[in-house]
Amino acid sequence: MEPFTYKPASDHGLTESQRVQSVHREPGLVGVLGRRLACAAINVYFALYHRLRISGRGNIPTELPFVMVANHESHLDALILAAAVPRALRHRVYPVAAADAFFTNYRSAALTTLFVNALPIHRKKVPARALADLRHKLLDEPCGMILFPEGARTRDGALMRFKPGIGMLVAGTRVKVVPCWIEGAFEALGADAKVPKPKRLTLNIGPALVFEGVPDEREGWERVAWEIRMAVEGLGVSPQS
Amino acid sequence: MNYRTHFLDFENAFASPVTLWITVGIGVALVLAPLVALGLGALGKLTAATRRDVLVRSATWAVIAPAVIGPILLGRGPTVLMVAAVSLWCYGEYARATGVFRDRVLSALVAMAIVALAFASADNYYRMFVATTPITMAALAAAAVLRDTPAGYIQRVALSAMGFLLLGSGLGHLGLVTTDAKYRPLLCVLILCVQINDIFAYCCGKAFGRRHLFPRTSPNKTLGGHLGALVLTAPLAAWLLGIVLDGTPAGSVVHCIVMGVVISVGGQIGDLVLGSIKRDVGIKDMSATLPGHGGVLDRFNSMMLVAPAVYHYVAAVNGPFVGPEHVLLRLFRL
Repeated sequence: MEPFTYKPASDHGLTESQRVQSVHREPGLVGVLGRRLACAAINVYFALYHRLRISGRGNIPTELPFVMVANHESHLDALILAAAVPRALRHRVYPVAAADAFFTNYRSAALTTLFVNALPIHRKKVPARALADLRHKLLDEPCGMILFPEGARTRDGALMRFKPGIGMLVAGTRVKVVPCWIEGAFEALGADAKVPKPKRLTLNIGPALVFEGVPDEREGWERVAWEIRMAVEGLGVSPQS
Repeated sequence: MNYRTHFLDFENAFASPVTLWITVGIGVALVLAPLVALGLGALGKLTAATRRDVLVRSATWAVIAPAVIGPILLGRGPTVLMVAAVSLWCYGEYARATGVFRDRVLSALVAMAIVALAFASADNYYRMFVATTPITMAALAAAAVLRDTPAGYIQRVALSAMGFLLLGSGLGHLGLVTTDAKYRPLLCVLILCVQINDIFAYCCGKAFGRRHLFPRTSPNKTLGGHLGALVLTAPLAAWLLGIVLDGTPAGSVVHCIVMGVVISVGGQIGDLVLGSIKRDVGIKDMSATLPGHGGVLDRFNSMMLVAPAVYHYVAAVNGPFVGPEHVLLRLFRL
């Protein structure tokens, strides 16, 4: 008989407030049920209020790990991408969100965890270590992630430079990177808006990219970021039917 | 029958003097413990770290005690709900510590079984309570097959079955006690004696503990602590049970002493059972829910063996606990 091997929850030993702010968070039965209910409510919202249209859904891998990346126009973006993920994988796909915006206190972190399933990343301190933690989680758990490599929402609707952090996550691995283009989110909830407008949203999902042969170093990270940006931009220029 | 008074009869909360004594005693202890710690700290008898530890533990007790005693004083309904909530929480901690929580179907089955036990207790439906265990075992064994993953099958089924038996069925017997008319003082005696047993073991171990009985399972526990807890807890429990069960066969001196020993020894073994689980998994506490204590299961571990042992001892001597059957079913006209 095989010896029993125990693998406690990766967030074992953390208090509830530490747990919701940790990248090691691992949902249980209650967490998954809560997420499914939240996802159902969000899908209804997008369908009725924004008439969300998704094309290229078949490009999303059916197995983990993978990373979805897109242009960043509004606070709706992570929810839009999460809405495209197959239901069976939804609780294992984590949008990466700015800790200084969404994880400033327990209530905000708990709501972000419930509705967005987000993981925090500190933009202003120790990004290298934070990205190493995310890379371990991506590969070891394994899980899916949603990232916006621009690092901030666009102020004028134009696509900005992609930061090399995305390369630090996937360079030299077989992790699939799925480029996506979000259309309409800037008009629905731009960076300066407080309340979403009932604008139509469109999500174009492109074929996955793999960067297994790219060296896991500064030059490789920059190359990964550039190639992904080209793929994302291409979806915006000629959206899939 | 009056369903309101059956499930919620706080008017009779202190019908037994034992319930009143224990409630007042716990209240006094909650006030005195931090004051004593502060006083000893001011006199230099306690280190700053120990004083802080006592204050944190006392603060946590100030939340736990009302959360547990309050529902018992309110009535059967709140008591059964509180027991079910504790069982579910403890199973959740156990499942996350052992990793079996990742099989959500099995965890959902255990959660449903705990709810079924709570229903059986509230409905005074003993046959359902008994039947829930074998049905749950069969359901766990069958459901684990559905993944078509033989690797780890025994581990998944064994871990979830053990979790249900100890934390669902074992702790669930606290809810079953509510089917007896004297459930309040009985539960108060069980809870007080099991918790004070831990405190006696700690104090006696500190005072004259030398030899370690289970150094690999629980390196801080000593023979002196074990014996001291037994010598102090068993007579206290026997005395209180003698008052509660007075006028029944189980209220005799011999039976009360036996039950006192069962409470003390069962409580300490329950503690060691959880200690073994934690050592095997490689963790210190089941969670960080209760500051100064660890997890909820770290606080209720001593109860998981004591509750069924005492319930069945009293039932064996006095005859089955009797009361109006199918209370809930009749209430909802089912």
